Amino acid sequence: MSRIIVVTSGKGGVGKTTTTANLGMALAQRGHKVAVVDADFGLRNLDLLLGLENRIVYTAVEVLAGECRLDQALVRDKRQPNLALLPAAQNRTKDAVTPDQMKKLVGALTKAFHFVLIDCPAGIEMGFQNAIAPAREAIVVTTPEVAAVRDADRVVGLLEANDVKRMYLIINRLKPSMVEQDMMMSVKDVQDILAIPLLGVVPDDERVVVSTNRGEPLVLGADAQSKAATAFENIVRRLEGEKVPFLDLNPPQEDFFSRVRRFLQGRKS
Amino acid sequence: MTSEFPVPTSISEIPASVPAPMSEPSEPEPSESELKEPGSNSIAETDFGRAVEATGGATTRAPEMGAVPQVRFRSEGGKLLLLLPPEKQITTPATAWSDLWQQLKQRLNSGERFWQPNTVVYLIAHDRLLDGRQLQAIADTLTEAKLSLRRIYTSRRQTAVAAATNGFSVEQQIPIAHLMPEAVGSALAEPLYVETTVRSGVEIRHPGSVIVLGDVNPGSSIVADGDVVIWGALRGVAQAGAAGNARCVIMALRLDPTQIRIADFVARPPETPPHQYYPEVAYVTAEGIRIISAAEFSKDRLWMPE
Repeated sequence: MSRIIVVTSGKGGVGKTTTTANLGMALAQRGHKVAVVDADFGLRNLDLLLGLENRIVYTAVEVLAGECRLDQALVRDKRQPNLALLPAAQNRTKDAVTPDQMKKLVGALTKAFHFVLIDCPAGIEMGFQNAIAPAREAIVVTTPEVAAVRDADRVVGLLEANDVKRMYLIINRLKPSMVEQDMMMSVKDVQDILAIPLLGVVPDDERVVVSTNRGEPLVLGADAQSKAATAFENIVRRLEGEKVPFLDLNPPQEDFFSRVRRFLQGRKS
Repeated sequence: MTSEFPVPTSISEIPASVPAPMSEPSEPEPSESELKEPGSNSIAETDFGRAVEATGGATTRAPEMGAVPQVRFRSEGGKLLLLLPPEKQITTPATAWSDLWQQLKQRLNSGERFWQPNTVVYLIAHDRLLDGRQLQAIADTLTEAKLSLRRIYTSRRQTAVAAATNGFSVEQQIPIAHLMPEAVGSALAEPLYVETTVRSGVEIRHPGSVIVLGDVNPGSSIVADGDVVIWGALRGVAQAGAAGNARCVIMALRLDPTQIRIADFVARPPETPPHQYYPEVAYVTAEGIRIISAAEFSKDRLWMPE
């Protein structure tokens, strides 16, 4: 039985699409057949992050209109043949599809793929309803910020009400050094509020920006050894049911001088 | 936050009652003011547990308009009554149904423990207009929760027809007087017991006390005509005695609210959070809302001159 997982967050810009792209790629690398579905009609990005923009011919809307077959719209990744993208239409809005149509589309995908990852748009309106309708599991992405956590909390409530009961949490863009200085919410603070099982913590990493711009998921490129990439790979292993210890994200022990400097700065403030 | 509000220097300056419903933007805001600990001019640790910035401003009862409609379950004679809010509380029909739907799901998710499988449910739809699809959706959801919808009571002909066409047993007219003693200066409803995390965006209103087994997260609110008891962390907004009873209390294992209101009083937590939380009770004194550790509460209340 294939798994249908929606990646959602409520707030925009916390890393839903980046997470979807990296998890999709990492799952494919581990031998699963993966379809990533862009549910962000009108503001699609997933194709950019995967570097597949220039290979899109048909989109989900054309499939639903019967203008092409599903497999014609699917864009297969050349670098990783296990991965396929079902692109969203860019020239339409969220009202172009209905929850029932999404269910039908994803239902058809499950015949050929082990994993279907749905990249949910921000917000809790029609686009969100469309994205979660076919899902059986959800990955809630948040950053350690009050606003993001608040929205994630709302989304968890809505997912519960819509019978998506299996939910996992990914905390994205954590800055361990800031947490240590008590300037950022810690993993525990976020978990205290959201109270859903933690799937992984992804540290803030500039290389994510580079990989996004290049259209090459972090887990694929030369930066596959970075901590963020390792975090995504661990998340995928946890999704498979493996018990993987959480990464030690604490910054390397500072030397004596910087400790003295911080001590003095602390005294000043 | 209080810059736009006058900050009285003494308690006597606090307005006795300014009407300020919270869900009606057209009405004036509740006048907030900082209250001092009794007998001192600064906010400091006193016998009252931790320092509280309480505000003796005023809210009168918020009108039901604009509030999220509240679906309720009530057990009566071994049956479960599913009460839908009357139509007049609704703003627009489209959002009304989705709100109603979400409420029903939440109620079902948070109270499962309290009924046996195959409990009979009577749907009390009041004057609410429901079409066949919606009735079927309600029935299916109840079936999923191992409840069986047996009969529908409605005062709308259209709803009755829709129910009958879908094969439900219907009772039109208004036969529910014996089931629904309508509130005429009534006693509080029986407590609402919810076992769930109350998440952002959720509003629980109940004309009685509310007991929550779980956390109340920021962005949510609990409005009770009676007490609010939270076996968990209170981080959202809680209002006790919403109908005006100032003797109601709010208690939580961890009282870390966005705001608390009791009857006509409003209080917000101090700017600097305490280092450690312990179970606390918020109640109204002559000086406004006070907070005290739960362990001290009953003792203190006993010799408090009322």
